[in-house]
Amino acid sequence: MTERRNLLAATGALLAAPAFMGRASAQTAAAPAPVPQAPGFYRFRVGSFIATTVWDGFATRQNPGTGWIVNADQAAVEGALRDAMLSTTRLDNPFIVTFLETPAGLTMFDSGTGGQLAPTAGRMRENLAAAGIDPARVTRILVSHFHGDHITGLTTAENVAVFPNAQVFVPEVEWAFWNDTANESRVPQAQRGTFANTARRFGPYQGKVERFAAGAVILPGVHAVAAYGHTPGHTVFHVADGTDQLFVTADTASRPEVFLRNPGWASVFDTDGPAATASRIAIFGRIAAERARMTAYHFPFPANGYVQRMGEGFRFIPADWSNAI
Amino acid sequence: MLVDRRSVFAGSAVLAMALPAAAQQAATLAPPSAQAPTSQAPTSQAPTSQAPTSQAPGFYRFKVGGWTVTTVHDGFFRRPVDGFVRNAPLADVQAILADSFLPGDQLTISFTITFAQRGDALVVFDAGNGVTAAGATQGRMIDNMAAAGIDPARVTHVIHSHFHGDHINGLLNAENGRAFPNAEIIVPAPEWAWWSDEGNTTRSPEGQRPTFANAARRFAPYQGRVRQITPGGEVLPGITSIAAHGHTPGHTIYRISDGAEQLVFLADTLNRPEIMARRPDWQIVFDFDGEAAAAGRRRVLDMVATDRVRVTGYHFPFPANGHFARHVSGGVQGFIFVPADWSSAV
Repeated sequence: MTERRNLLAATGALLAAPAFMGRASAQTAAAPAPVPQAPGFYRFRVGSFIATTVWDGFATRQNPGTGWIVNADQAAVEGALRDAMLSTTRLDNPFIVTFLETPAGLTMFDSGTGGQLAPTAGRMRENLAAAGIDPARVTRILVSHFHGDHITGLTTAENVAVFPNAQVFVPEVEWAFWNDTANESRVPQAQRGTFANTARRFGPYQGKVERFAAGAVILPGVHAVAAYGHTPGHTVFHVADGTDQLFVTADTASRPEVFLRNPGWASVFDTDGPAATASRIAIFGRIAAERARMTAYHFPFPANGYVQRMGEGFRFIPADWSNAI
Repeated sequence: MLVDRRSVFAGSAVLAMALPAAAQQAATLAPPSAQAPTSQAPTSQAPTSQAPTSQAPGFYRFKVGGWTVTTVHDGFFRRPVDGFVRNAPLADVQAILADSFLPGDQLTISFTITFAQRGDALVVFDAGNGVTAAGATQGRMIDNMAAAGIDPARVTHVIHSHFHGDHINGLLNAENGRAFPNAEIIVPAPEWAWWSDEGNTTRSPEGQRPTFANAARRFAPYQGRVRQITPGGEVLPGITSIAAHGHTPGHTIYRISDGAEQLVFLADTLNRPEIMARRPDWQIVFDFDGEAAAAGRRRVLDMVATDRVRVTGYHFPFPANGHFARHVSGGVQGFIFVPADWSSAV
C-alpha cells in the first residue's frame, strides 16, 4: 500500500509540474508524455471567500437500474439515466470535497475516501497538491454525516490523522446516533459498519471534535442547516459573504440526474427515505428560490452550480468554468 | 516498448485505467524534485503555504474509440448581451440567459479547442486566438497545451472550420512564423475561395471585412502546406467533413470516428448552447448568412440529438463536450446541452 500511495502521489506531482516535464524531456531527448488528465480542482469566489472543489475519484455501480433506488422500478431509473445521456449499464459515483478559504482559515467539508474505499478513488491528496493546498493548513473540518466515503479520509489506513491542525465539527445528532451501537438494528445491514468506522476515524482526533446543533454558526459566514434523512443527522452548510452565498449540500441529493429530477426517490443508502426526500425538497427548493450557488459531494465535477425547478423536481445547471477566478 | 512520443502517449492514456503498473511508469517520468513525500500523512505540523488563488489548467481528455481527444481552453472575452442576437428582443435573450443563471448584461464567450490523436496523427481543429496582449482574458491555449503535454511541433494537421479571427489567429507565433511548424493546414474549399477573393468584400457584412486581410496574413507562412477539401468527404482516415455553411460561406464541421464511436466537432454551428440550442432560429451578430446558419443549426442539432452523438463546441462552457437532447421551453422546440461527466479515468 505504501508503495502504491507514493506512486500515486508522484503522479499527482507530475500533473502539477508541466514545466519540469518540459525540461526533463529536453535533457533526455524523449518526447514529453502528455499527462493523462488535468488535475481535478476548481476555484471560484463566494464574496471575498474562495471555494475550491477537489476531485477524490469515483466508484462505479454496475446496472444502476437495479438494487439502488428502492422505490422506483428499473424502467423508470434507466429512463432517467437515458434522459441524461448516461449509461444504463454502469454509473460512476464521484466524490468531490469542497474547501473554503475565509479570514478564519481553511475549512474542509467532509474528508474524501482516503484511498481506502475504491481503486478509482483516493485522488484528493494529489489534487490538493496540484491546487497548492497543504492539508496542514486545514483548521476546520465540517462533517455532513458519517458514511464511509465522507469520513474515511480523516485518517490513513494506519489510522493516523491526515489533518493534524484541524478541529472536526460534527452534527450532534449524527454523533449521538453512530456512537451508540444500540442503534445497530435500526439501520440497514449495509450501513452497520458505520458504527465501528465512526469510532475508528474520529479516534485520532480525540479532544478536537466539537459537536454542533442544527442552525449553529460554526465560523464567521458559515452555519449548519439540518437536512436529516439520508442519515439521522445529515447536515448541510450555508456559506455567506456579503450578498453571495453557497450551499454545501453534501448528500442531500446524490447524482442530480437521478435525485434532483426525481426528489421522491430513495436509495439503499438512505436511513429514512421519506425524511431524505422532505429534506431534499426543502433544501433544493430554497436554493432554487434564492438562485444560490451550491456544491455537492456526488455531482459531476466540478460539482458547483445552480438548481432550477423543473416538472415535479429540479434540474442542475453547472456554473461556467472560468480561468478568471 | 518504444520510447517515442506516440507510445508514451498511449501509455499515459491508460494510466488512470490501470493504476499500479502505469503509475510506476509515470513515477519514472517525474523529475526527482517533484517526488512526493513518502507518507500520506503530512510530515510537518506547520502550514507551508498561503491561500492559493490560481485556477486548474484548462484541458480535458477523453477517448473516442482509439482517438484520444483533448479539449484545451483558450480563455474568454466579454461583450454586451445587447446586440448579440439580431432577430429577438433583448428582453427575450436576457430571459433565456437568466434561465441558465447567466448574467443579462455581459455575455461571456469562451474558446475551447479540440485536439484528437490516433497513431501518427495529432490533429487540432481550428487554431485559437494565439499570442495575445499581456492581461488579455483570451489566448490561454499555449499555456494549457503545455500543461496538457501537447507540443505544437508535433501537430500533424490543423483542420479549419472557418476563418473568423478567433479560429485562425493562433496559426502564427509571436514572431509571425508558423505556430504549428510541421502541420498540414486543411481548409474548406468554399471558405478559402470566399476569403481569398477581395472581390467579395462588398458582398460580406461590414463587420467581417477584415477577415480578407487577416486570412491572408495568418495563412501566409504556410504556403505550399495548405490543402483545400470539399466538404462532405474524408479528410484523413477517421475524420470526415460535413458542410454547415451559413455562419460563414464555407463553415464546415467534422466527424471523428473509430468503429462505433464518434464525436462531432461543431465549431460555430452554435455559439453558447444556453442561448442557441434553446432558440435555434435566433441569429447572432457574427453570422454571415443568418438564415442559412439557423437552418444548418437545426439540421445538425437534430442529427446529433437523434444519434446521441458526443460533440465538442468552440464556444461551449469548458470542457465543452457533451450531448444534445431535445427540449421544449417557452413553447419552442429546441435542444438542451448535457455536459459529459468529468472523470479522472480517461
